Amino acid sequence: MNLPDNFVFSQGNLQDYVDCKRRFQLRYIERRSWPAIKAEPALVHEEWMQLGARFHRMVEQALSGVPAEQINVSPEDEKLSLWWRNYLSLHGKLTGIENAPEEELSFFPELTLSAGVGGYRLLAKYDLIVITSAGQLVIYDWKTSVKRPRREWLADRLQTRVYPYLLVRAGQTLTGGLPVPPEKVSMVYWFAGYPDDPERFPYNQPAFERDSSYLEGLINEISGLEPTQFTLTDVLQQCTYCQYRSLCDRGTRAGEFTGEEAEGTLAELSDLLFDLDTIPEIGYD
Amino acid sequence: MLGKLITGLTTTQLEIIEGPPAGHIFLEGPAGCGKTTTGVERLARLLESGVRGDSLLVLVPQRALGKPYYDVLHTPGLAAGGLPDVVTIGGLARRMVELFWPLAAEKAGFAHPEAPPTFLTLETAQYYMAHLVRPKLAEGFFETVVIDRNRLYSQIIDNLNKAALNDFDHTEIGERLKSAWVGEISQLRVYDDAQQCANIFRQYCLEHNLLDFSLQVEIFYRLLWQAEPLCQQYLKRTYHHLIADNIEENPPVAHQILQDWLPDFDSALLIFDQQAGYRVFLGADPGQASELRRFCERQVLFSESFITNPSLKSLEEALQRVLQPEKNPALPASLETPGDPSLALSYSQARYYPQMLDDITDRIADLIAQGTPAGEIVVLAPFLSDSLRYSLTYRLEAAGIPARAYRPSRALRDEPATLCLLSLAAIAHPDWQMSPRKEDFTLTLLQALDGLDLVRARLLADSVYRLKEGKPVLESFAQLPASKRERITYRIGEVYDRLRDWLENAASGPVEPLDHFIARLFGELLSQPGFGFHADYKAAEVTANLIESVQKFRWVAGEPLQTEGIPLGREYLQMVQDGVIAATYVHSFQEVVAEAVFLSPAHTFLMQNRPVEYQFWLEIGSRNWFERISQPLTHPYVLSRRWEKGRSWTQSEEERTSRESMTHLVTGLIRRCRGQIHLGLSQLNEQGFESRGPLLHAFDRLLRNLPEIEGGPV
Ligand code: SF4
Repeated sequence: MNLPDNFVFSQGNLQDYVDCKRRFQLRYIERRSWPAIKAEPALVHEEWMQLGARFHRMVEQALSGVPAEQINVSPEDEKLSLWWRNYLSLHGKLTGIENAPEEELSFFPELTLSAGVGGYRLLAKYDLIVITSAGQLVIYDWKTSVKRPRREWLADRLQTRVYPYLLVRAGQTLTGGLPVPPEKVSMVYWFAGYPDDPERFPYNQPAFERDSSYLEGLINEISGLEPTQFTLTDVLQQCTYCQYRSLCDRGTRAGEFTGEEAEGTLAELSDLLFDLDTIPEIGYD
Repeated sequence: MLGKLITGLTTTQLEIIEGPPAGHIFLEGPAGCGKTTTGVERLARLLESGVRGDSLLVLVPQRALGKPYYDVLHTPGLAAGGLPDVVTIGGLARRMVELFWPLAAEKAGFAHPEAPPTFLTLETAQYYMAHLVRPKLAEGFFETVVIDRNRLYSQIIDNLNKAALNDFDHTEIGERLKSAWVGEISQLRVYDDAQQCANIFRQYCLEHNLLDFSLQVEIFYRLLWQAEPLCQQYLKRTYHHLIADNIEENPPVAHQILQDWLPDFDSALLIFDQQAGYRVFLGADPGQASELRRFCERQVLFSESFITNPSLKSLEEALQRVLQPEKNPALPASLETPGDPSLALSYSQARYYPQMLDDITDRIADLIAQGTPAGEIVVLAPFLSDSLRYSLTYRLEAAGIPARAYRPSRALRDEPATLCLLSLAAIAHPDWQMSPRKEDFTLTLLQALDGLDLVRARLLADSVYRLKEGKPVLESFAQLPASKRERITYRIGEVYDRLRDWLENAASGPVEPLDHFIARLFGELLSQPGFGFHADYKAAEVTANLIESVQKFRWVAGEPLQTEGIPLGREYLQMVQDGVIAATYVHSFQEVVAEAVFLSPAHTFLMQNRPVEYQFWLEIGSRNWFERISQPLTHPYVLSRRWEKGRSWTQSEEERTSRESMTHLVTGLIRRCRGQIHLGLSQLNEQGFESRGPLLHAFDRLLRNLPEIEGGPV
């Protein structure tokens, strides 16, 4: 067992493991800082991530009761204004709950759920979960990627498996203790730049069972590896956007920022912002 | 998990833990009697019983004190569900201000309520304070104050924080300080200056959408909590159960919020540590915290320590009687703790300081030889000087004893890796006119090129580094005479040329933010084979900290500097040189090494809240156990809500509060000891002087009544 006590798994670190075992080891077990540039141009990449974080914050404000007309975006922030207009044009009619009267819906924005899996805790932070009066549970994830990713790419992401799986495992906390049947769960990726083209993934019992044994197997595999077994990936493409590339002797320059791959890093930025939330003044906290 | 922890709990603990998720309990007691364990188990039990995790709020005064709660939330066996929020009052304020910014910005008086807020860190607040106060210094502000400028800035920031945490107007700071002052008249002018600087800073923040800690707290408390129904509704809708631990370390605004909010919680457990309040200097108000008991239906007192034994308990009582006789009158023998204090205390004395250290080392070696684990021993002093740290660690290590000293982290700007990165940045940006000195360039080469020694680094720096019209220039290795090239070696020369070419390319390319420049320099060059940062995790960590510091600086100061036409990189370097920024170094974590003797300042050990078997107390004669540090611009007691406006702060107040904090400190230490406390006494202190402070006097009096104790008269 090589993992630190009370190690917590998430879709982000599991995705890293699947992408490259060594990256997982460096980032989460050894917690190595290696501050190289991840994608070029660095400023464009950074600004995009910040815009994404601001958009998430605005939606959270609206869902927390701040009147939408009081949430301002400067017209100079063209991209953000467009995303915000796209969001507002939904008029609350999100895919999966279009026909449900609003008063019969329960909204759970920015919710974190966790459950024990394979002797560890698995955790997910959801942008929004909506429960309808008919007992449907719809997971929404706001995507602000430059390009709209293909369905196959999304289907392949750990997020698409971890989020519905964990909602089935831990969702009884939202349903007054009633179990959550996998058939009642679905996951929707909504693209701020492509508001009319969301991607919906229904869920069901066989998928839940498959994910259950897959995730348990993956966690068992990780916790059983010896330190030397965290090998470098064979897919060199992975190294293009990885900050450890000089440590692994896998090149000098970062890859071009194209957008699709920004999804993973956006999650990291919101993790970072989440952390910063909890670190106010030194001394006073 | 629960079962394991449940073992060994008392009936009262179990009663609280297993009680229904309803009602408000005020739980108090001294350190070490299982209050936090009860809180943590209560949290786990609430989750097991089906309470929604996200409806649970855990409030702690400092993130580190939330660790036991985080730990239980990460245990695999815990029930599946939502996660409780473990927050500090500052963290909650920041979150609420961010979320409800559109509703508060205009009312708060921000000039651009439509634009998002910019949150300042301590470092960036210090930067702006320096920026605004510097011209005032030139006008003669603070003329009579002889402290480092950066301490001056931080005390003005501290005043603003105290006003916010105590909920009084920041414009009252000067008056409050002046009305309590009884000394030299010239000090009144200093308080006026401090007030003016606080006003200027606040005004600047409002004009530029900047939020320092004080504004975050003030907006949250006054404009959101008290005046914005949406925010209160949001919080009350979200959280139904509360566990607030160490409430004595929280400031008045936190207590006021708790008092208002309590009736709305289905269940609440407030935990109060008696005789603590170690964060009074940071605005803690244990007195007001204890008043919250009136708002709880049930009050529970835990009095039995799971840590100390009767001898330590009676030592604690005896010391309290000596230190604060007015508060701790002698009890009839029948009511005294039956323990024998002399069993809890031992001491050794020597004339000279080094002899005392030798003796301490021998005693620690004996304890370890008798089977005490090294991690069960701590050596404490009121202040841990570099020389004490060095001399004692050296002795312990020479005796084969693992030891670890608490090290206030080296400032970021003092790290060799920082010097290297910033010097190279200055060379790549000749227009900044911030040329490194030759000696600094030598050290830079030493860091940057793998396998270089100081002699060759000097030779290389002397040969290639020039200043031309005030701008730094690097000659190529090939231009050096063959004899020099041979002495430096061709391998080093080749790596040096790569560095030079890279810098030249960077200088001729498009200007990019300093943090991106450093990240690129690190990734493309310094961490590559042949360079000094290759596979060097420590250098990488320093680089990451530096990048983060620059990035936060850019996010906050980038635009205004651009408007003024000042290159951000140059300003950052200037501020580092002035000691305004990069002066603190926030580590990921200072883990306690379990199997090593720990050397620490007494306060630091106390805040770790970790009981041990043996404590060695050094420098008992020092006045640092007693006196607070001099802060000419601020005052922790006068700038508190409890201090009556207009009342004078006299010498007897100073004496009383100092005695009180010292009593709390030594009581807190004793309560974190399971076995014995040993005093290391030397007639002459580290500097060779006799020092006889109040703690030594107290022990003197105490020991006279304990004739059988190991040692002799102090
Ligand atoms: S650089 Fe490549 S091999 Fe190294 S950790 Fe990153 S992805 Fe893995």
